[in-house]
Amino acid sequence: MIELLNLTKRYRDFTAVDHISLEVPQGALFGFLGPNGAGKTTTLKMMAGVLKPTSGRIIINGMDLSRQPSEVKRCIGFIPDRPFLYEKLSGNEFLQFIAGLYRMNHAPYLGKRIVELLEIFELSHWADELIESYSHGMKQRLVMCAALLHKPKVLIVDEPMVGLDPKAARLVKDIFKDQAENGTTVFMSTHSLEVAQEVCQEIAIIQAGRIIASGTPDNLREKAGVATGNLEKVFLKLTEGKTGIDEKSLSSS
Amino acid sequence: MVGLGILFWVFMFAVSSRVLGYFQSVEVIGDLLAHHLLAMVLLIFFSLLVFSHIITALSNLYLSTDLELCHSSPADLDELFLSRFIYTIADSSWMVIIFGLPVMMAYAYVYRPGPGYYVALFHLGFALIVVAAGIGVLFTMLLVNIFPAQRTRDIIMLLSIFLIVALYLMFRFLRPERLVDPDAFFSAMQYISALKAPDTPYLPSHWVTETLWKYLRGLKGEGTLLNVMLVWSSAVAIMVINMWTARAIYFAGFSKSQEARKRRGGRRLLDALTTLAKKPLGDDLASIIDKEIRAFFRDNTQWSQLLLLGALVVVYLYNFSVLPLDKSPIRIEFLQNEIAFLNMGLAGFVLSAVSVRFIYPAVSSEGKAFWILRSSPLSAKRFLWGKYALYMPPMLLLSGVLIIATNRLLQVTPLMMFVCSATMFMAVFGIVAMGIGFGALYPNFGYQNIAQVSTSFGGLMYMIFTAIFLAIIIGLEAGPVYVIFMAQAKGSSIALWKWFLIIPSFIGVVILNCVAVYKPMKMGTEAIEEYE
Repeated sequence: MIELLNLTKRYRDFTAVDHISLEVPQGALFGFLGPNGAGKTTTLKMMAGVLKPTSGRIIINGMDLSRQPSEVKRCIGFIPDRPFLYEKLSGNEFLQFIAGLYRMNHAPYLGKRIVELLEIFELSHWADELIESYSHGMKQRLVMCAALLHKPKVLIVDEPMVGLDPKAARLVKDIFKDQAENGTTVFMSTHSLEVAQEVCQEIAIIQAGRIIASGTPDNLREKAGVATGNLEKVFLKLTEGKTGIDEKSLSSS
Repeated sequence: MVGLGILFWVFMFAVSSRVLGYFQSVEVIGDLLAHHLLAMVLLIFFSLLVFSHIITALSNLYLSTDLELCHSSPADLDELFLSRFIYTIADSSWMVIIFGLPVMMAYAYVYRPGPGYYVALFHLGFALIVVAAGIGVLFTMLLVNIFPAQRTRDIIMLLSIFLIVALYLMFRFLRPERLVDPDAFFSAMQYISALKAPDTPYLPSHWVTETLWKYLRGLKGEGTLLNVMLVWSSAVAIMVINMWTARAIYFAGFSKSQEARKRRGGRRLLDALTTLAKKPLGDDLASIIDKEIRAFFRDNTQWSQLLLLGALVVVYLYNFSVLPLDKSPIRIEFLQNEIAFLNMGLAGFVLSAVSVRFIYPAVSSEGKAFWILRSSPLSAKRFLWGKYALYMPPMLLLSGVLIIATNRLLQVTPLMMFVCSATMFMAVFGIVAMGIGFGALYPNFGYQNIAQVSTSFGGLMYMIFTAIFLAIIIGLEAGPVYVIFMAQAKGSSIALWKWFLIIPSFIGVVILNCVAVYKPMKMGTEAIEEYE
């Protein structure tokens, strides 16, 4: 479903993403781990079509993003780490706007879908209020509504838990699991090992722009030579001695 | 920038000295004029200071992001308020001081007063600023306790726009050009009477005027000490009143200002407007237009500029209606049509100025939410053409008003009406396309204030290119239009060889317009596709 082939992103002298290759099957809940500055967000932005790669290819749902950008983006729902939105629109209007971008305005189920999503994310009461009056967590949830509105085949999610309270975080994890069970591929970046451990079936660890390990949690334990224990031990073992590691960035909450 | 400021200062000083020097040479009324001018200047500055303090106080006392830290600190409320008050004075007054000082120095240069003038100017100027600050801050504190701070800002901003528009229209309708028209001069006695009429004696600016005037003329009078005491006692009194008021209501107002803004009405009107605008377009472009219209009309700082634009158009048309064409030595029918033709340049400039304010920032106005469009299936090309489709109708309407209405006022020939209308109609396509294209070439999605986008390097480039574009159009058409117009006026036919110049010129104009649409939009599309 998702293939990254020698994906690279260079900014002058700095290589943010360095020839990474990954394959994610359909319906997988894939975790993309790494410390701050490892290249996670850059990779996700390239996959969402927000950044142009320096080299390499991104194939989503059998289509090359560089050749068929509109068709690929139609299959994707992107949830960025920071929810910058149009402050002067209400929640409802924003979702109508998103529906228009995906040419869903005349879909008979649109109204029902919007109501359903707002209810799931507990935003119904705020639907007609301007986004400028929303808290960070509410904005984040609204972005998730927008990303799921057109029933994407691929969800690209960057640090979804930032700014969410425990209840909302639980809700989001359940939704991602539910989406994956229904055949949507979820590609999620996080620096929270606990979240990755709880929801992800497969994980790739990126550091300094390169994939240093990938596989199921058991595969990673085997690679790290850690028989038991949580992902934190695995992560630390795999990344020990490598430049750029910042142990304080490993979050267990 | 410093050089520009110094240049401006010198310019103000030179002009003021010149005017005052001229007044001195006029017998009887010269001193009256200078005195009246001083009173007017100080009154205007006082008013500007009050207004400036109202706006700055709102920001410094209620909306500034560091206020949370200040209020959570153990600092005494009185100290906090006083520090913010002083900061507000500094923030609001510097510009008025810079503008006012060359005028005051010009008075000193012309009248050569003693050192008393400079001492009085310094301490009375300071006291006047404190009075203005006190009034402004007090007004703000009271207003915020009635309306939330966010709403107060909207109200003040709207009131200021209304005020500026009203003053602008009033000034123009007073027809100040009559003062230099001998035929419009009424009797000298009436004129002198008008000058002698005192300004309001209860305003601090009046007390400062009288005091400074006495020093300028070397007059000693009993009133001087009284005026000085009035100014200073007012300054002290307003400070005390502010401190008392702050103790009573400042913190409550600040707390209220933390509340979120409540959604206002007008939704149905916006729904109707957007339905109309997006009817002929596809869903994705319709969404862009819908979003733009809603965001525009929900941002008071944006739509209120339409009021200024409206005033500009009214005065623009009024200027044409009062043109003294009958006093010109050139035959009227030639003059009218000449003016109409040249008016294309002026109208084009107005359209460019409007465009740089509203259309050029259109791409950047997406702000940090631009990622939504980048990650959507909407292509960069459709995005830009969507913006184009949105801004074309209002710009066509504006150009129609500027050209057709003025040409009707000038009573031009049908030929000239057709040429001007057709030319501007085509030029609008290019002006809008260049606005969108340049805006995409020089985007600024991280702006703090949308006005910054218009005044950027890209905005300057846009204005330069539109000026060149319009100049070429007018240059290409000038010759052919003259030939055709003169042939019509004389009732003669045009020589065959001249058509070989006329037709290519007009074709050139059409080609230029096509290039002005195609090239910027293409370059803008490529720039947006490559944008990171």
